[in-house]
Amino acid sequence: MIDPVEVPGRRTSAWVLLLHTITFRQARALVPAALAFGATRGLDGGALTVVALVVGVTLLSLLGAAVTWWRFSYADTETAMVVTRGLLSRSVRTVPLDRVRGVEVEAPALHRLFGLVRVRIDAAAGSTGGTEEELLVDGVPQAEGDRLRARLLARRARVVAGDVAAAGTEGAVAPPAEEPEEEIARFDRRWLLYAPLVGSYLAVPLAAIGALFRLLDEVPDRFVPDLDRPDLPDGTVAAGAVAIAVVLLALGSIVGSAVVNWGFRLVRRGGSLIAVRGLVTRRHTELEIDRIRGCTVSQGVGMRLVGAARASALVTGLGDAARRGQLLPLGPHAEAWSLAGRLVEHPGPLIAHPPAARRRSVVRATALGLLVLVAGAVLTALHGWWPVLVAGAVLTALGVPLGLARYAALGHAAGPRSFAVRSGWLVREHTVLQGRAVVGWQVRQSVVQRRAGLVTVLACVGAGTGGYAARDIAADEAAAFARTASGSWAATLTPYG
Amino acid sequence: MSSPPPAPVREPAWSLSRSAISLWVAQGVIAALVEAAVVAALIVFVPGDAGWWPTLVRWGGPALVLVTVVLDIGVQPRLRYRVHRWEVTDEAVYTLTGWLTRTWTLVPISRIQTVDVTRGVLQQVFGLATVAVLTASSQGTVRIPHLGADVARRVADDLARRAELVRDEAT
Repeated sequence: MIDPVEVPGRRTSAWVLLLHTITFRQARALVPAALAFGATRGLDGGALTVVALVVGVTLLSLLGAAVTWWRFSYADTETAMVVTRGLLSRSVRTVPLDRVRGVEVEAPALHRLFGLVRVRIDAAAGSTGGTEEELLVDGVPQAEGDRLRARLLARRARVVAGDVAAAGTEGAVAPPAEEPEEEIARFDRRWLLYAPLVGSYLAVPLAAIGALFRLLDEVPDRFVPDLDRPDLPDGTVAAGAVAIAVVLLALGSIVGSAVVNWGFRLVRRGGSLIAVRGLVTRRHTELEIDRIRGCTVSQGVGMRLVGAARASALVTGLGDAARRGQLLPLGPHAEAWSLAGRLVEHPGPLIAHPPAARRRSVVRATALGLLVLVAGAVLTALHGWWPVLVAGAVLTALGVPLGLARYAALGHAAGPRSFAVRSGWLVREHTVLQGRAVVGWQVRQSVVQRRAGLVTVLACVGAGTGGYAARDIAADEAAAFARTASGSWAATLTPYG
Repeated sequence: MSSPPPAPVREPAWSLSRSAISLWVAQGVIAALVEAAVVAALIVFVPGDAGWWPTLVRWGGPALVLVTVVLDIGVQPRLRYRVHRWEVTDEAVYTLTGWLTRTWTLVPISRIQTVDVTRGVLQQVFGLATVAVLTASSQGTVRIPHLGADVARRVADDLARRAELVRDEAT
């Protein structure tokens, strides 16, 4: 290994100073302090105080940005990526190229003004799946970002491929850009119409409205126009307000989804999948196909109504599958499945879980309601106070469809090279994993499950959330499921006889 | 419990060290002592005329301590010892843990990344150690608790050596 200290470092662009000053990147930490200061001293000193404060914060921000920029350098050597930073305590971080799991090049709006990009390098950090490392090189020119990506991934491919002859002939600096591209998916603008039914996109306008209201609260009363109340019956006003709110929400979510997903393309180039998306911030994510172990197709309640879905890849050593592994942010169900099918062989139709699982699901869903019901009955008997009783009855009644819905979501299947599990009520997640992905099995049985002849089988996987469970499958099916799903080593689970 | 349904998967072959029972009993005793101290403090320092809840503490507290004594000292250690099993086969590490909810964990040796041996304070007193086998998955960790210290070291060495030989870099 090369001594990291001797590596000549590269610097990020100096424009990043301006960028970070504008966005108060370093000074953001000071905001709470400044607020506290403002709250204690009060801002009644008039415009002068405000101006002084703004200038001061800007200067501090510039200073912070300058120091950060001055002390930051990075270098890509033959074997590793080295990032050096820190003012007082210097930190030199070396990530071997064969640990690099993915490279993401993103261009936020301001960066684009200066032709800069931000490069995120994901690296596996060993056995603990949750703590993957990330290197961030913020503010290099677009060309340098592309060079870095190509170089890191090309080197990584060579390191990983090792003695494969083809990799040797490719040469050290053959940029993957010259390899043929194959477009796998492209965002259809009509898919934006799904957005109002997706929870996370609905949250965008809601957050905006919340922020607006907070802002209105801050504005002094004399600036708020005194709106005349129209002389309409209250019902009409309320209905109108609701209608307008619904339309605004729908539009907002469509806009939000468009901003995030604009121009989404998924292409295959060599051994990598590359996803590009975003209107304001352009994101460029690269995943190595060899490291993909499975796919999750998830559907929220609303998405199920219209047959929409999203698909993401589960990549070993890469956490945050929901964001970085995204293959299709939003699209028709069939599209999501055809994508998943390209990466992981489908194990066949899902098998429903036994009736005992339905009973257990309903019992679990109604348990809280029953508890409240009993408490309500006691209260009614003792004090004649009935609302709790009614609430308990309602909760219990609602628990039944909830339990049934959760049961309906359950399913599992095992094929020769892959297996699938499905669960979830609000967001139904259907995960298909390759058999080789499994690094362990966990079979769990509670007292209740034992009596009902059920078990929960958890496939431990070094990708995504780390474990995917087939909840409440028939007890005598567990060993066979694990064996079929992952191969002969799981035969250890098979009971004697 | 008259006719327990058959286990869904095979039982691992080997029991833990018998000292594990003593260790769990010791843990139960400590838990009971702490609880008793808290309950005693509450009974002594809470005035009796502060409403209905001192009465609750006065009767419920000792009852809770009694339940802890019976469960954690009388029942749980033996039951746990009966349930807990482990095995290292040619291909995998296999454990069964828990006493009410049972968990079987199977990890193939080819997917082992790290093998740790830890010895807590109580474990040292009873000459025990825990072997933890880590994989690429945060949820795929096998812990074999309370083996005899020498057994634990031998198992860990053996596993680490074999994992080195058959390591599967696919994950």
